[in-house]
Amino acid sequence: MTNRRDFLKLSALAVAATSGMPGFLARAATQAGGSKTLVVIQLTGGNDGLNTLIPYSNGAYYAARPNIAIPKKDVLTLSGDLGMHPSLKPLMPLWDAGTFAWIENVGYPNPNRSHFASMAIWHTADPAQAQAEGWIGRIADTIGDPFCASNIGTATPQALIARDFSLPSIASVDSFQLKLPGGLDDAFHQLLGVPRSGEAEYLVRATRQMMTNTARVQRNVQKYRAGAAYPDTPFAAQLRDTARLIAAGVGQRVLYLSLGSFDTHAGQRGEQDDLLATLAGGLAAFHADLEKQGLADDVIVMGFSEFGRRVAENDSAGTDHGKGSVMFALGQGVKGGVHGSSPDLEDLSEGDIKYRQDFRGVYAEALTKWLKLDARGILNGEFTGPAWVA
Amino acid sequence: MTLTPYQTSLSAEDAAHFLRRTAFGATEARIRALTGRPAAEVAREALAFDQSLAPSNPFDPRTGATFGAAEQLNRAAWLYELIYGPHPLREKLALTWSNHFVIGTDKVKNLSALTGYLTVLRAHAATASFPQFALAVAQTPAMLRYLDNDQNRKGKPNENFSRELLELFTTGIGHYTEQDVHEGARALSGWTFTGGRGNKHYLEPQAFVATPRQHDDGRKTYLGQSGNFTPEDIVRMAASHPQTAVFVSRKLHRAFVSDVPDEAAVQGSAQTWQRTGGNVGAVLAELLSSQVFYASRSRIVRSPVEYAVAAVRILGQPELEPKAVVNLSQAAQRMGQQLLHPPSVKGWDGGREWINDSTLLLRIQLAAALTLGKTAPDLIRAPGDLALLGSERPAVAGALSGLNPRQRTYLSLISPEFQLA
Repeated sequence: MTNRRDFLKLSALAVAATSGMPGFLARAATQAGGSKTLVVIQLTGGNDGLNTLIPYSNGAYYAARPNIAIPKKDVLTLSGDLGMHPSLKPLMPLWDAGTFAWIENVGYPNPNRSHFASMAIWHTADPAQAQAEGWIGRIADTIGDPFCASNIGTATPQALIARDFSLPSIASVDSFQLKLPGGLDDAFHQLLGVPRSGEAEYLVRATRQMMTNTARVQRNVQKYRAGAAYPDTPFAAQLRDTARLIAAGVGQRVLYLSLGSFDTHAGQRGEQDDLLATLAGGLAAFHADLEKQGLADDVIVMGFSEFGRRVAENDSAGTDHGKGSVMFALGQGVKGGVHGSSPDLEDLSEGDIKYRQDFRGVYAEALTKWLKLDARGILNGEFTGPAWVA
Repeated sequence: MTLTPYQTSLSAEDAAHFLRRTAFGATEARIRALTGRPAAEVAREALAFDQSLAPSNPFDPRTGATFGAAEQLNRAAWLYELIYGPHPLREKLALTWSNHFVIGTDKVKNLSALTGYLTVLRAHAATASFPQFALAVAQTPAMLRYLDNDQNRKGKPNENFSRELLELFTTGIGHYTEQDVHEGARALSGWTFTGGRGNKHYLEPQAFVATPRQHDDGRKTYLGQSGNFTPEDIVRMAASHPQTAVFVSRKLHRAFVSDVPDEAAVQGSAQTWQRTGGNVGAVLAELLSSQVFYASRSRIVRSPVEYAVAAVRILGQPELEPKAVVNLSQAAQRMGQQLLHPPSVKGWDGGREWINDSTLLLRIQLAAALTLGKTAPDLIRAPGDLALLGSERPAVAGALSGLNPRQRTYLSLISPEFQLA
C-alpha cells in the first residue's frame, strides 16, 4: 500500500509524463490489487429502521405506532425480540445460512435531520462536513486507481468524489462505450489537445477518463452470463450490471448503488413495503448470481440510509425525520446475525432513538478487514465497530 | 447599485455570452443584433417578457391516456417552449425556479397541479416580490402535495413543508432551529387542496383551499417572533428573512454567473434584494448588466436540458418532429435531468455533477443525432464559431479545419467549450 506522501510524489511525476492528467488517473491499475469487492447500497431518503428490523416484543414500539407498526404476525422472526419486515422475505435464506447481518443503532454525533446535510456526512465520513471528498473517493486517492470504484447509476454521489476527480458513473454497461463516427478520431483528439484552464480543462480530463474507462469495461465485459433471474426493476437491473462488472474482473474494488425514496412522511406502509421488496428481491437475485459465477466469496454488500425516522408515527400514517437507524450487510464474507444492541424506545432524544454505534466504525470494519486498507487514513481517525466481517 | 455596472457597449463576444446565459445561446444574426448596444438596455429588454407562449405547440398533455403518458407530454410541451418559445429568459428562470421551489412527478400526479405550478413559475419568473412568489408557490396543489402539507392538520402536524421551506426555499440551513420547524408546521396546518386525488383522477382539476377547522390558531414562536401566526405569516416571515436574500441570490448567481459563485458578488445582489424588498426583477436587471456577469465566461456547466435546447437554438430552431422533441426530453432524463422530476427536494446540484462517464457519452450521442444522424435536421446555414463556441477566433479552430460543416458542428457540440456557458 502506498502512503499519501508517496502517492503525491508519484502523482507529480505522472502529471509531468501525461500532459495535464491528474496523477491518480495516470497511475497503473496494478496498484488496485486485492480480489475482494465491496458493494455499497444507499437507501435514499431516510429509511425507517424500526420498521425494517422490528423490535416486535417491545410494547413501546406498538404504542408509538398504532397505524404503521408491523403486526407481530407479519414479522419474519429472527430472535425472541427482533424480526424483519415481511417484504424482506427473499433475504430469509441468507439469514438462515448465516450470511446476512444487521448492525443495530447506527448514527453519528450531533445528528442532523436534514436529508442533505445528513447524507453528506455519511458520504464524506465527516460529521463536521468540512471535507469535500467522499470516503470512497479517498479510497481511490489511496489506491491510486481512478477506476477502483464506480457508481452504478446516472449521478455520481459525493461519496465517490476524489481529491482531483469524481469516479465513474455507469448508467448501463451495454451503452458504456464511445463510438465516434468514422474519420473523426484524429480531429477529436486534436480538439481535446488544445490547452485550456478552469472548467474547460476539467471537461477535457473527464472526457479522457471516460475514454479510458469505457475501453476497459468493454474489453472485459463479454465474459459474463447471468446466473440468476433478476426481478424486473431498475434497481435489479443495476445489480445485474454490478454482477457483470465484477464477473468481468474490470478491477473495481467498490461499487455503489442507490435506491429510493424512503422519505415516508405520509402513507408509509405502502411506500416502504414496496421499496423493501425491491431491495430484497434484487439482492437475493444478486447473491444467487454471484454464487453461480463462483464469486460469492469475494463480494460483500453493505447498506445504509442517511437517518432513521421518528419513533412515533405522525398523523399522516407516516414518520418524520429521525436520527439513528440500522445498517445491513450480506455475503459469504459476512458474519451473520444481529450486531450491537437495539435502541431503547423509552429513552429518546427529541422523539428519536439515541444511536450507540458510530457509522465510521462500521465503515472501518469493511475497509480494514475486507478491503485491507488503512481505515485511519481514509476516515481521518480511529473508529471501531462490531466484527461484522467474518 | 451594489454591483459595478458594465459600462462598455457590447462586443460580439459579449453579446454571444449574454445570449448563452439568458437564451440558451442564439444564432449569429441574433448575436449581431445585440452587438454595440449598452448592457443595461439589453438586460432590461430581455427581462421585459410577457406571458405569451410559443404558437402551435404540438403537445397537449390532456390527451395522455394515463398519467404517465400525460406527464411525458407535459415535459415535451415545456421542452418545446424552451426551444421555440418567444421568451427564453422567462423559461430559463422558470427552469431555475423549478430547481429551487422543487416539486416532483414522483408524488404530484395531477395535470392541473403541474400546469398550475409551471404557470406560477412563469408569472413570477422575474418577480417584483419574492415573498409574494413564495406564497403563490406554497399555495399550489403541486407543492402542497409534494411536501405533504395537504396532510398537515391542527393537532396532527406534518413537518415536511415547514422544514424544507426554511432549509431549501428561504433561509438555508443554519438560520433556524428545530423548534422553528415544529412551530412552522403548526402554523401551516389547514392548507390543502380539493379534487384530483387518486391515480385515475389525474385530469380532474385540483384547487388550493384553506380549511379553518384544520388550522391550529394557537400562539407560536417562529424565527424569533411570537403570535397567532397564519400560514401566510409563516411564508412571509421565512421569505422576508435577511438570510433568504443571500441564499436565493446565491442561486441566481449559480444560474447566471458561475457554478462556484463569488461570495462578495452574492452579497452585492443580496443588498439590492434587501433594499427592494425581494424584487428579483431588479436584482436580475442589475446582475445581468454587471461587470461580474460579463467577466465570468465558461464557468457554468450546461445542464442536460440547457445543452439540448442550446444545440437546437444555435442550429436556428429547425422544426423537429414531435417525436424528436420527446426523444430530446428522454435524452435529458437519461443525462440526469428529467423536467419536473428532480432526484429529491434539493433539486439538481448541477455544476460538475452533470458530468460523468455516462452523461458525457450521452451528450456525444445526442450531438451526433442532431448533426449527423439519418433524421438530423437540415443544416440550412451551419452555425459559426461565435454561436457555437462564443468566440470569433476560438482556440479549437485549427482542430476543426478541413471538416465539412456537419462534422464541424458535431465536434463543436461535443467540445468542452460548448458544454459550458
